[in-house]
Amino acid sequence: MHNQIIKVLNAEVSGCNAVLTEATVGDSFITVEASSILAVCELLKKSNDFQFNVLQVITGADYPDRMEVSYILASYIKNLEVIIKVKLPRESAEIQSVVSVWVAANFQERECYDMYGIKFSGHPDLRRILCPDDWSGFPLRKDYVVAEVYNGMVINPAHKINTADHMFAKKLKEELGNPKLVSSSWKDAADTTEVKEGE
Amino acid sequence: MQTIQLKKPVTPDLTFTQWFKNVYNGVRTTVIGMGITFKYVWDVKPVTIEYPEVREELPENSRSRLFNDAQNCISCLQCAAVCPVDCIYIASVKRPADAEKIKTKDGTAIRLDLKQYTIDTALCCYCGLCTTVCPTECLTHTTDYEFSSYTLSAMKYDYLAPDIRAWRTRLVKD
Amino acid sequence: MSTHTLEDNHKIILGDQEILKSDLLTLNMGPQHPATHGVLRVEIKTDSEIVVDAIPHLGYLHRCFEKHCENLDFRQVIPFVDRMDYLAAMNMELGYALAVEKMLGTEVPARAQYIRVIVSELQRIASHLMFFGTYAIDLGAFSPFLYAFQDREDILRLFEELSGARLLYNYIWIGGVWNDITDAQLNRTKTFLDTFEESLKKYHSLVGENQIFIGRTANVGVISKENAFAYGVTGPVLRGSGVKWDLRKDRPYSIYEKFEFNIPVGVGEKGTVGDCWDRYHVRVLEMFESIKIVRQCLDGIEAGPIIGKVPKIIKVPAGEIYLRTECPRGELGYHLISDGGKKPYRLKVKSSCFTHISALPAIAPGQMIADLVATIGSIDIVLGEVDR
Repeated sequence: MHNQIIKVLNAEVSGCNAVLTEATVGDSFITVEASSILAVCELLKKSNDFQFNVLQVITGADYPDRMEVSYILASYIKNLEVIIKVKLPRESAEIQSVVSVWVAANFQERECYDMYGIKFSGHPDLRRILCPDDWSGFPLRKDYVVAEVYNGMVINPAHKINTADHMFAKKLKEELGNPKLVSSSWKDAADTTEVKEGE
Repeated sequence: MQTIQLKKPVTPDLTFTQWFKNVYNGVRTTVIGMGITFKYVWDVKPVTIEYPEVREELPENSRSRLFNDAQNCISCLQCAAVCPVDCIYIASVKRPADAEKIKTKDGTAIRLDLKQYTIDTALCCYCGLCTTVCPTECLTHTTDYEFSSYTLSAMKYDYLAPDIRAWRTRLVKD
Repeated sequence: MSTHTLEDNHKIILGDQEILKSDLLTLNMGPQHPATHGVLRVEIKTDSEIVVDAIPHLGYLHRCFEKHCENLDFRQVIPFVDRMDYLAAMNMELGYALAVEKMLGTEVPARAQYIRVIVSELQRIASHLMFFGTYAIDLGAFSPFLYAFQDREDILRLFEELSGARLLYNYIWIGGVWNDITDAQLNRTKTFLDTFEESLKKYHSLVGENQIFIGRTANVGVISKENAFAYGVTGPVLRGSGVKWDLRKDRPYSIYEKFEFNIPVGVGEKGTVGDCWDRYHVRVLEMFESIKIVRQCLDGIEAGPIIGKVPKIIKVPAGEIYLRTECPRGELGYHLISDGGKKPYRLKVKSSCFTHISALPAIAPGQMIADLVATIGSIDIVLGEVDR
């Protein structure tokens, strides 16, 4: 089925460069060019062989050199499923919205924008959906750091963190003089890192 | 300009027989319903238990408050490693080579002296992963479910403190 | 704060005539509301009593589960997966465990498979009972709520004996299940199913056949077949609109191919196809089918180990998988991307309730506000799954 899709896509949609990644573990997926995603989706929905009439989910994934957006489509008529992936640059990630093909894309693209900062051009109402409207930062990016303060409220206030318990082992090591004698569930290299030994 | 189309309810013309049929249907379904309700009034035993005079027996493997039997702990740190919310704080010191050799209940040698074993019960999610990895089974879930307190700091249980160690008589069967 | 605006020059047509309209009033069906099944905020623009637009605002229960599980081992994710749809926790765990097992290539022993199906179907019954009770109470009927919860207590008591908790189980592990089920518990389940089947028929005649209930739910909140596919709704909502699609039959997972059961579909018995009554009726009929499946499981359960060979430290090979299972609320999908390490690189959860809530602006306009309550209740959302 995947090879058939690749043939049809490369034939009908010019410039889409559909490439199949066969997977030994898990699912195989098809990668296409970001600029041709709207044409690809329209073709997959309308074609009589596949009839992908339902868009299930649009997800993103953040890699060091790129941002990937996966479109997982399903055909409830022919009982098929396919994953279409698109690679975008990390800075200024922008892609065309597919709301005109499936209305289900509305909320899915809003969530992708909220979590990754990927802009979907042509979306009727692109604003944050799960985070508050004035939140700064895109949470699911790998380089996301939580802000210190939000609207005057301190995020992670110091009195709620059990610092005394975390520092117990460190104090014990200083008391005894020989740090090798103490084993603890909290590493004390920097004060509030929460990395544990024994994993 | 948004146009909202309301659906005009399609009712056939109301004839005499239809009116009686409607009345009959209404009364019949109401009587069936009230029959069930009255059956519950007279016939069914109430399932409410009068807490706190009557308390329900929780099953034995119910995952409520944790208890660590500190004298049997070998400080393997497995429970702290597997905890998904990092609520277990452990620190222990190696026993000197010439100290008395002590063992746990099931014969494992204890090589580390436990200096800190605190569980922040307010953070704990009661998943039970820590109790499954404990090799000596000193960390167990009990069936105590009434342990709310007035302050957050009171929810941090120090299992080396004498008052919590005293629970051992009630909870651990030797 | 939103940029979504509605022009105030709307038209309301009844039959073929335009009726007198009034100014638009914005009402807030706020995050704290007894009938929204969680912290859902719906911004309703109404013209007197008629809803002109209903915009859902989500995110009040957002805990960023997807980011959090990038820091957890594969085993540690299971308690968190429970907490998304907390009323159908076994089904959430099953989907995740199946996804990881498929990547690892682990074989789950037969007894564990049977126990998983028993637990999942009992959880489906419990979740639909919760829907039944809360839907009736949304529409004003108080007794069915207590009757439904009485039966649900029996199921939850069995789950407490099996796993230790009543709602958030951490029971279905990667490779099998945690605890074994005893013969006494199996016999108790059998007697429970027999009594429950009789009670369920009574409950349906109490609520579903009641003229007031039919008056409030028939022809209300109609989702047509085209809208259903366009918005991507799944599960009982899709089956209520007349589409015969159930993942347990069409794309079987676990051991569902061994069982015989029917797929109930809405036919517009009391009104139009795809109205609230159809969705309610589909869920009641699904409870009967689940009873059938559990009975077949109880007859066919084999002896054996309850957990397969899983390494102490689980490292999933690099790759990705999208696995969907049929949960009481719809299709739940797990898109797991692994880079070969001990923690998931990206775990995306496709929640059915999120997609269903997106259909609200399409089905709400034209109804009264009371009908909106009936519509939201019939879609059966749980905000834990919507917001994750």
